[in-house]
Amino acid sequence: MANTKVDAVIVGSGSAGSLLAAKLSQAGKKVLVLEAGPKRGMADLVSSQIWARRLKWAGPATETGGKDPLSIGFGSGWGTGGAGMHHYACWFRLHPEDFEMKSRFGKGLDWPISYDDLRPAYDQVQKEVGISGDADKEVWRPKGDAYPMPPLSMLKQGRLIARGFEKLGLRTAPLPMAINSVEYNGRPACIYDGWCDAGCPTKALANPLTVYLPQAIQAGATVVHQGAVTRVLTNAEGTRATGVEYFNALGQRVVQEADVVVLAAYTFETPRILLNSRPGGLANSSGMVGRYMMAHTTSNVYGLFDEETQNYLGLTGGQLVSQDSYAKDPQKGYLGSSQWLIANAMKPNDLLGISNTRPDLFGEPLHAFLRDASANLGTMTFVGEALPDADNRLVLSEKKDRHGFPLAQVTHQFGPDAIKCWEAGLKQGKAIFEAAGAKQVWTGGRAQMHTMGGAIMGRSAETSVANGYGQAHGVGNLFLAGSSLFPTSGGVNPTFTVTALAARSARFLVDNWKSL
Amino acid sequence: MSDSSNTDQQRREALAKMGTGLVAISVSTAWGQVSPQKARASGAVLKRLTTLEGKNLEALGDVLLPGAARAGIAHFVDDQLGSPTPLLMLRYVDYPVPFLDFYRQGLGSLENLSRTRHAKSFSALSLEQKVEIVREVSRENPSGWSGPPAPLFYFVTRGDAVDVCYGTQEGFKRLNIPYLGHILPTKKW
Repeated sequence: MANTKVDAVIVGSGSAGSLLAAKLSQAGKKVLVLEAGPKRGMADLVSSQIWARRLKWAGPATETGGKDPLSIGFGSGWGTGGAGMHHYACWFRLHPEDFEMKSRFGKGLDWPISYDDLRPAYDQVQKEVGISGDADKEVWRPKGDAYPMPPLSMLKQGRLIARGFEKLGLRTAPLPMAINSVEYNGRPACIYDGWCDAGCPTKALANPLTVYLPQAIQAGATVVHQGAVTRVLTNAEGTRATGVEYFNALGQRVVQEADVVVLAAYTFETPRILLNSRPGGLANSSGMVGRYMMAHTTSNVYGLFDEETQNYLGLTGGQLVSQDSYAKDPQKGYLGSSQWLIANAMKPNDLLGISNTRPDLFGEPLHAFLRDASANLGTMTFVGEALPDADNRLVLSEKKDRHGFPLAQVTHQFGPDAIKCWEAGLKQGKAIFEAAGAKQVWTGGRAQMHTMGGAIMGRSAETSVANGYGQAHGVGNLFLAGSSLFPTSGGVNPTFTVTALAARSARFLVDNWKSL
Repeated sequence: MSDSSNTDQQRREALAKMGTGLVAISVSTAWGQVSPQKARASGAVLKRLTTLEGKNLEALGDVLLPGAARAGIAHFVDDQLGSPTPLLMLRYVDYPVPFLDFYRQGLGSLENLSRTRHAKSFSALSLEQKVEIVREVSRENPSGWSGPPAPLFYFVTRGDAVDVCYGTQEGFKRLNIPYLGHILPTKKW
């Protein structure tokens, strides 16, 4: 079956897709958003770590392997708003040097755009979405407009850990968050109940359901749920997208024609759809679709304090940030940036819950630990850069989804720079907690967060998949959005950059619609 | 921030009215939606796990976190395994579906290990024997183990035990921490 042709079909209703839907609709375009998962509203954001698992990916499985397998299920989203519904709202700008790794340091890749190119979009999105923070105290912050809201409050856990930084001469600043510290744009202020990762129904946290999707719908966009896109359809040469093929909730194959196709389907599905779209892959003359899959290294530092930490309060992302180790200095013995997200709110259960801070404990000692740690545990999260590596790659599997299309298979391992950066971070983190007065200090094992790459932007059609606007090389009316585009990871959470890139793409699309 | 201010409390209460139930976990039984603990107490029959598997999962749960059996770990897992999108910790470790295989194979390996070493079912072992096996499972694949990696099986089932014991409003209360829920679930997930 076939639907009525639209101006733009957007695959994915997450942070990037929702912004593009809003901007294109507001520009008068007829927009259809296809979301693979079910429909959700704010009333579905139940405060429970168990219920929150509904928000995580439940679509076609991706096989994950390699020395450091990428996590698929935890970071992905499922349903309206995608991963944006459970993201922690730590909104950072990449630093200027993150865009110029190859030319400045001889390692990694260069972006086709500079920080100055992206800065207007950062400033625009920051105002539209609302960010709380203190630009002056973030001494590492790239130039940009001051935050529209004052910082969120620092609570007990933050104050306890901050004293460790102070004793070691390290600086902290309020964490810049896309969470309201005061009422902003009709949304209320945060009440610090620590359920951010279960989805925030208060509307204090900016997610697709609170900001851009309502704008898109108000401007006339349609969102179709349980619409699993399998391919971008093209002309015979594969040089023009004609629409997409998807399977609806009834399992029926539907052709949706469109003048413009936007793939904003997260890091694993965007390259999979491209590879499935035609033999050899769509927009893949470079062979780069699926390459440069990346993630940040991460671990938590934990400490038990004599004082109560009230770790159940606050924000899942944390209260403070320190980027004193962000500078990329090859003299350190590695190339990479990192930061600390300090004083994360915690709940007893779940993957990042208090119980898993000591996965070795079981039996009565686990009960005792939970009682102690619920009162006195403090933590902070390391976020470390990993350099892009073409061999970290997503390819098509021999296994198929229920519609007969190959699943994705991804292989990943961290390089030596990323591992050294992580090792240095953990050593520093333990020292900070000891200086803060924690009576027991330990760290979690090396893990990874924030998947990026797989359909990177670049200057050349021979070495990248899309240009600086997310426009696919060789397919002028196909646009890619999301962290798939990142040629480098930087050392900061990606959602602000994802959203800013989408805003830049939207502007380009509107301004150049007739010549695409 | 005044976390205990009247204003914040009023907003919590208003948000909670979007749902009206206790923050509980529930399973589907002949008596309707009840907590896993009540399902177990009322003798609800497991629908996916066998009786032996359920018994061993309870025994394992009580080693991992004493009280997990009474809290209904077997009924919780069994009920979730009937969902196309189970809300189990297993969902986060990218293990291939069907999830029933994970539990079936892991519990089967646990039972085989127990019978090989002690000529008894796992649930019939002494606490010391159970702890010894669980400690080994938490670290490496014991000889003859098949199915999911033993440490992964330990990690996931331990997570299930924590879910049923502490992932609820009652669990938070036992830890003396406020739940502060915005929206409380009213129905089966």
